[in-house]
Amino acid sequence: MSQTASARPAAGYTTDEMMSVAAARALRDGTSCFVGIGLPSTAANLARRTHAPNLVLIYESGCLGAKPDRLPLSIGDGVLADTADAVIGVPEVFNYWLQPGRIDVGFLSAAQLDRFGNINTTVIGDDYADPTVRLPGAGGAPEIAASCREVFVVVRQSRRSFVERVDFVTSVGHGRGPGDRERLGLPGAGPVLVITDLGVLRPDPHTRELVLTDVHPGVEVDAVRAATGWDLTVADDLGRTPEPTERELTALRALTAASA
Amino acid sequence: MRDKRMTADEVVAELADGMTVGIGGWGSRRKPMALVRAILRSPLRDLTVVSYGGPDVGLLCAAGKVRELVYGFVSLDSIPYDPWFRRARESGELRVRELDEGMLQCGLRAAGHRLPFLPIRAGLGSDVLRVNPDLRTVRSPYDGEEVLAMPPLRLDAALVHLNRADRHGNAQYLGPDPYFDDLFCLAADRRYVSCERIVDTAELTAGGPAQSLLLNRMMVEGVVETPGGAHFTSCVPDYGRDEAFQRRYADAAADPDQWPSFVDQFLSGTETDYQAAVNAARVGA
Repeated sequence: MSQTASARPAAGYTTDEMMSVAAARALRDGTSCFVGIGLPSTAANLARRTHAPNLVLIYESGCLGAKPDRLPLSIGDGVLADTADAVIGVPEVFNYWLQPGRIDVGFLSAAQLDRFGNINTTVIGDDYADPTVRLPGAGGAPEIAASCREVFVVVRQSRRSFVERVDFVTSVGHGRGPGDRERLGLPGAGPVLVITDLGVLRPDPHTRELVLTDVHPGVEVDAVRAATGWDLTVADDLGRTPEPTERELTALRALTAASA
Repeated sequence: MRDKRMTADEVVAELADGMTVGIGGWGSRRKPMALVRAILRSPLRDLTVVSYGGPDVGLLCAAGKVRELVYGFVSLDSIPYDPWFRRARESGELRVRELDEGMLQCGLRAAGHRLPFLPIRAGLGSDVLRVNPDLRTVRSPYDGEEVLAMPPLRLDAALVHLNRADRHGNAQYLGPDPYFDDLFCLAADRRYVSCERIVDTAELTAGGPAQSLLLNRMMVEGVVETPGGAHFTSCVPDYGRDEAFQRRYADAAADPDQWPSFVDQFLSGTETDYQAAVNAARVGA
């Protein structure tokens, strides 16, 4: 099959752009996505501008079906309410939309992520009372991680962010392994996909440990190992992410330019 | 985005005998009467109806559609009693689960939250617990206070009427009160909204504050445009209650000899026939 102009791989792009494009591709058209600000919001809005125009974006501030023409600066950015299908109260977001499991995908980022997909956005350091770095805190992420049907995480990969064990479990991924989510009564499937600037990781269905399943173009497996704080397992059928297309890259750059 | 427009009869065709159906509105206010009328002319039966009851309940009882009724009250507002509900209730043929408005709301909330129950104080010490022996209380693990554990009122389908909607299922109320229509939809598996007018999405947003968009497309399966679809209940600001017609309904409902001619005149044809008959009766009055 000959490649159309819009499907042609782009010439030059950054690793961050590859990450956003790969994250956007993971979102299926017509589904609902609970969007965190930052990298998830970039990816979700890119998806809506490319292959998933019917994606329903939900922001914690009560904006359901937001269609921003630029990236929101925060969940309280007026562009979200102005373009939403409906605006409801924050308690309703949690009580009627998150907790009952009505949302298909929770799209999160993380300061620290461990081998079982647990997320830390609370503190860095061994001593909770005297942390090295005090992070913003949980926000709505724990309930997103608990109750969305699936969780996607988009995060830049390094030894600082990809650790054997997070310093503080803010949002539960797969706990300490198989059966933990079920034991805790968490209804959603938890993190099923982690997209980084180097590749893609998915939990092993048996051990629930994050396994490298795809690398982005030009990335060697050793480089991913070097950026991972645990002994990384690599899938036997390791895939390679297709490069960003011109269409994807044009849409992404228009989005970030509109938001500058 | 998906076009969810359908007719009232198509909505009713998606319902089945024995279903639990929640009906929005409150008393004789913004009831999805065109959808109720579509049920009246369908073969549907043995419904469990959950409602802040108005003439929807009376008409469904009159047509023998209701097996069980779950309600906080049934009233026509300006006329205290609905004669058909009264007759069905007093005949003992109707299975009833009588709650109060708070418990009904709490049950819809529990269903909307997908929780096994929600605590509420309403009903404690009342005979509601005696006549509903399946209702249980629970003690607070913090201070031992006993509260009623209201179970979820899960609905197979919800029928509501709003002022405006777009074809995708975003819907807006323009009057002073949302009633419990969003809760009915959140408690239900299938959700149908009738409206006075289907407009473009942009017109919805321009027509009122964002909060007036009570329903969004994720909580609606079908949209029906039915001008006058709440008649004879109120649908402000599009129209108020048709008090004269409500009186006519109540008088006919109260008199078994009059009722067949009321059915013949107003309820034996399509929705278009109904609206035409109402207009003709108004001109003749």
